[in-house]
Amino acid sequence: MRRALVALLAVACVALVVGYQVTRPEQAAGKPRVFVPSASFFEDFSPAFRTSIADAYYLYLVQYYGEHIKTDQRLDSVPDLVTLITDLSPRFVKAYQFGTFALLDAGEPGAAYELLKRGAEANRDDYHVPALAGFLVYAFGQGEDKLQIAADWYARAAAVEGAPAYLGRLAATLTAKGGEREKAALMWAQVYADGDKYSREKAVAALDELLPADPAERAAGLAALREAMPAERFDMLRDDLGVGG
Amino acid sequence: MTQVAAIALNTFRETVRDRVLTVIALFALLMIVAGLWLGSISLEQGGRMMKDFGLVAVTAFGVIIAAFIAATLVRKEVEKRTVFVLFSKPVSRGGFVVGKFLGLAATLGVVVGGMGLFLFLMTLAVGGGASGMVLVATALIYLQVLTVVAVVVFFSTITSAILSSMLGLGVFVAGQLSHNVLSLSRIGAGAVTEAASWVVFVLIPNFSAVDVKAAAVGEQTVDWGAVALWGVYLVAYMTVALIGAAFVMRRKEF
Amino acid sequence: MTPITTSTPPLASLRAVTKTVVTGLRRRRVTILKGVDLTVGRGDVVGLVGPNGAGKTTTVKVLLGLMRPTTGEVDLAVEGLGDVGYLPENPYFYDYLSGREFLAFCGRLFGMGGRAAEERATELLADVGLTDAAGVHLRKYSKGMLQRIGIAQALVNDPQLVLLDEPMTGLDPIGRLEVKGIIQRLHDQGRTVLFNSHILADVEELCTGIAVMKAGRIVWAGTVERALAESPDGLEPFFMRVVGGDGASAPEATP
Repeated sequence: MRRALVALLAVACVALVVGYQVTRPEQAAGKPRVFVPSASFFEDFSPAFRTSIADAYYLYLVQYYGEHIKTDQRLDSVPDLVTLITDLSPRFVKAYQFGTFALLDAGEPGAAYELLKRGAEANRDDYHVPALAGFLVYAFGQGEDKLQIAADWYARAAAVEGAPAYLGRLAATLTAKGGEREKAALMWAQVYADGDKYSREKAVAALDELLPADPAERAAGLAALREAMPAERFDMLRDDLGVGG
Repeated sequence: MTQVAAIALNTFRETVRDRVLTVIALFALLMIVAGLWLGSISLEQGGRMMKDFGLVAVTAFGVIIAAFIAATLVRKEVEKRTVFVLFSKPVSRGGFVVGKFLGLAATLGVVVGGMGLFLFLMTLAVGGGASGMVLVATALIYLQVLTVVAVVVFFSTITSAILSSMLGLGVFVAGQLSHNVLSLSRIGAGAVTEAASWVVFVLIPNFSAVDVKAAAVGEQTVDWGAVALWGVYLVAYMTVALIGAAFVMRRKEF
Repeated sequence: MTPITTSTPPLASLRAVTKTVVTGLRRRRVTILKGVDLTVGRGDVVGLVGPNGAGKTTTVKVLLGLMRPTTGEVDLAVEGLGDVGYLPENPYFYDYLSGREFLAFCGRLFGMGGRAAEERATELLADVGLTDAAGVHLRKYSKGMLQRIGIAQALVNDPQLVLLDEPMTGLDPIGRLEVKGIIQRLHDQGRTVLFNSHILADVEELCTGIAVMKAGRIVWAGTVERALAESPDGLEPFFMRVVGGDGASAPEATP
């Protein structure tokens, strides 16, 4: 009898504990604006744990972005978070890449460009950041010379040791005359080649728009992107666009 | 020398058989495995997250184990009066302190080394490059943990076990902030403050001079010269703390 | 100085030893030993008796060097601590060591090699009747077993001088018999034994000499024969008379 009572009590308490938490999603949802301390605070507070703090904030940024982009589209704290992460860990290339798209979604293309400029400065041995800067200038830049500036970024990326050969060709294509849709497709293909799942989603949407609707022309347009990325990425892209091999 | 070795072996056996240690070590491994989950939400940055948070876990658990076991090393022997057995035999007080330290150093070598190796294998499995740096970082974390042990052993010769543990953890945290103490001397609050902050700066072990985790995740290239110098500094610091502990023990009566 | 016997050369002696300690936060000074004179002859078995707080344990610690005398002199005619064995009162040893490991550890503290220490441990375990419990961790030992392992560790180095602080405490009748046997055997081997005890019957049975302590001083020292000559009806009335018959702090007469 006593044993049964204790068992009942235990079951009731477990139900309460689990039930309490699973009925809490509204409370658990984050606010669009959060407090972000400055990097110098952490530099002082814990210089030997800078990258760990950067990583923790990076995970937070990914979560914050994912949550708000799907719901209220308010990304108020993205600029502060990206700045904090890259200040604490200037060589965290992934943070620049993800941060760029998060800033674009937050409506801050200028900040995204500044971020990439800083990133390229801090990571001269890395081609991803300048290549992304090239794309950013091409896709969101204003002014007559934007193609030249974008091409310069691609050329800079191509000059990095170990950079894929197609970066150099992208630079050349950009400054050539005509074929704007083809150019745009190539740039987006580069984003697809380099990006995480969020930027790949964006690239697929853009390419879907840019590539011709007619199946045969679409396949031909896609084939032209083959050299802009590694083979397995290309296969992935083909699947994502739903074009048969 | 035989005596020191015997005490070290004895201490190693005592501590390594303590169930609390097993529990904490298992918990640490669990934390490292939890890094897999962090990796999965990191947009293909699993390797970096695993390394960085894994090393934080190794540091935290290493320091916690060090602070709590080291405090009982000397204290327990005094409180439970096993020192009577030791010091009624031809065992020098200094030999006792060194033997105890070496024994716990061996235990922590097993624990911290085991955690580091486990993390290394995990990063190999997850991928993400520069995994060998995890082992280098583990070695440097081990040196920091040993420094905490030496400090706690010193405190435990003059105060209670709990207080020694707390002071040890405090010194570890202070060691992370040691450069801040120095900046206190620059705010122009007068000669006394400046002198005092210099004294504190020198007294506290400098744990933030080299960021081993940053090197492991590729944030910094390793300056081997600076790492070696820092290692020598930490060994010297431990030696001073242990000499201090031996000095206090020599003057103690039981 | 109070020699207990005159026939044997002294092995251990304390001359006018005082010990003052500072205790507590208020730094109160307490004098535990107020001028102890005691000489233990080679081959003697001496019982150090006295009420609680008389300073018996402190006297032994000063002999061992665990405490330094405030004034006075300590002489040990042996070659350092390597020739002394000591059993502390209420001994506690390492929880996670087995009896055998602990004794081998003690052997190594005396500089024995690994194998010699192991062999000595096996011998001693048999001597104190713990062979069956040799592999058991000490935290699983009973109080009596701990007392016996404590005596064994005091004998690891086959010492000339054996100091035992309350060796019979916590032992059952069989354990007491065994310990008495060990002390008797040490006496037969010509070893010198000084033990603190509350139990006058044990002293009468085992000792050649007796020293009575009270309030930090040796108030009577001599052979057991002489004590019995002074008090033919046994050591108990003798003791009561010497320490002043304070019943509250008198030792137990019988176990």
